[in-house]
Amino acid sequence: MLVRRVSAPAWIGGSAALFMLAACVLPFIGPSRLDWARVWGSQDPDWSILLNLRLSRTLLGLFAGGALALAGALFQSMLRDALATPYTLGVSTGASLGAVIAIAFDWHTVAGIAGIWGGALIGAGLILFVVMGAATRHGQLSSSSLLLAGIAINSVCAALILLVHSLTGISQSFAISRWLIGGLDAVERPTLMLYVAIVLVTSALVIRQARQWNLLAVGEAWAATRGAQVRRALSTGYLAGSVLAAATVALTGPIGFVGLVVPHLLRGRLGGDDRLLMPCSFLLGGVLLAGCDAIGRAILAPAEIPAGAITAFIGGPYLIWMIRHGGTR
Amino acid sequence: MSVPTLRVRQVGWRPPAGPDVLQNVSIDVRPNEFVAIMGRNGAGKSTLLDVIAGLRQPTHGGVTLAGRPLDEWHPTERARVLAHLPQMLRADLSMRAEALVLMGRYPHAARWFESDEDLRIAHEVMERCECLEFRQRTLSTLSGGERQRVYLAACLAQQASALLLDEPATFLDVDQQLQCFSVVRAEADRGAACMAVTHDVNLALTFCTRLVVLADRGIAKDVSVEAALDDPSWLRAFSSRVSIERGPSGTWVRYQ
Repeated sequence: MLVRRVSAPAWIGGSAALFMLAACVLPFIGPSRLDWARVWGSQDPDWSILLNLRLSRTLLGLFAGGALALAGALFQSMLRDALATPYTLGVSTGASLGAVIAIAFDWHTVAGIAGIWGGALIGAGLILFVVMGAATRHGQLSSSSLLLAGIAINSVCAALILLVHSLTGISQSFAISRWLIGGLDAVERPTLMLYVAIVLVTSALVIRQARQWNLLAVGEAWAATRGAQVRRALSTGYLAGSVLAAATVALTGPIGFVGLVVPHLLRGRLGGDDRLLMPCSFLLGGVLLAGCDAIGRAILAPAEIPAGAITAFIGGPYLIWMIRHGGTR
Repeated sequence: MSVPTLRVRQVGWRPPAGPDVLQNVSIDVRPNEFVAIMGRNGAGKSTLLDVIAGLRQPTHGGVTLAGRPLDEWHPTERARVLAHLPQMLRADLSMRAEALVLMGRYPHAARWFESDEDLRIAHEVMERCECLEFRQRTLSTLSGGERQRVYLAACLAQQASALLLDEPATFLDVDQQLQCFSVVRAEADRGAACMAVTHDVNLALTFCTRLVVLADRGIAKDVSVEAALDDPSWLRAFSSRVSIERGPSGTWVRYQ
């Protein structure tokens, strides 16, 4: 099959335009209609609903979706595994375990940080070192050992989550279940700004190395004899993908499928060149998640369907479709 | 005689756990040479190539590339001088053939997208490897042999002066095997130092300038192709059922 050829600038420009458009339009979608005149006149409550709730939530969706899709694209290239996601290497399960423990023990705030956030970051950080340590043999790091260590530790964390969950009372248990679905909520501005800064800097670092991920996608020996420093590339890639995934999971819970579906869909359209795939994954992943969240809050208003459930609704059938239509792409 | 491009000195390699795979291997490969690395399965052919490519750290001895020890080269600089084609490469890659060949240009410039000159070089090598026609195809849709030609083109696009190929002709049909080896021979004739692992005695005798036979963890035989034809005793390192026949119409390898 011939790959449809559209120039790279057109794809990146188009994706960026959609991203901007989503940021402008999606805040106006929600359970309560906003009055234009009041918004224009900066009058409450419409103005503050728009600014503090809807806009902050849309921005969180845009950057969280972007971070997850980019981390997915990165791990798919780095591990040469078409089914790799930001969660494959265990970091987000580690973050979930930390968050679940924080909920189970009612740690609302610890040292001024929201308990769930702190727990998730600590969990992710610990898992990062465990996986890295388990994957390094004789000072060597390979993507297959990283993948195996990640999957093994992933399942241990998942078992621990079930254990903690089964030992908690009914109200914590509900909070844990809800958190594990994943979803977007308005966050306070300083937290949002910090998150956006982390995502932007990490994503820029990852995308800048796109040629290196292209080489690694072919093979480690291939990359090494074309000037890449494989061990350094694998550890920085793992670290960067983990920062993206952990920071996101800490704020949104483990939202599934964005990290798998977006790079996959685009790889079929654009081909596997990460110089094009990565920026487009970031931009369109953001649009997808923010869009799913807007659908979730509009479709059964005033009830809300968490974005994590909507992405899974789209992701599951997509995966089946992919299997049926020769998912080798 | 010209200065060797590759100088392999008393190289030994042992896996972290297990017996030696290579012991005391020394070879010089000069410009214009095309060396066939031959030997039975498990004789250490790929290991030797990996050591020369810098993919494995030798446990003894060392390799110099263009007069400089291999580990003193910066990886990017080294990739401009030395190209390596691994034996097994990914088949399910969703990248266009042309994009893959352009990877050979990565070490030559730090810029994000390749220049028109890079594209011209890529097309020129794809033409030589007879794969230009599928430059817009996705690699996962190509057959094994077609993909192998694309990978070979990607190696040539590096324009390296040392070319290391691990079984480059294995998946190719007979015509493409000949094409592959004559392309590499042409690179040697232009001044590259080439090494290829192969099991095909015929291809080696037809296109290579020198044969290196590995057996018992070391070099069992290191001869020019002319000498190999005159004294075929080296064939016993592979099998007792192969012989070389010479007649008025040429030379052929006979299997029994």
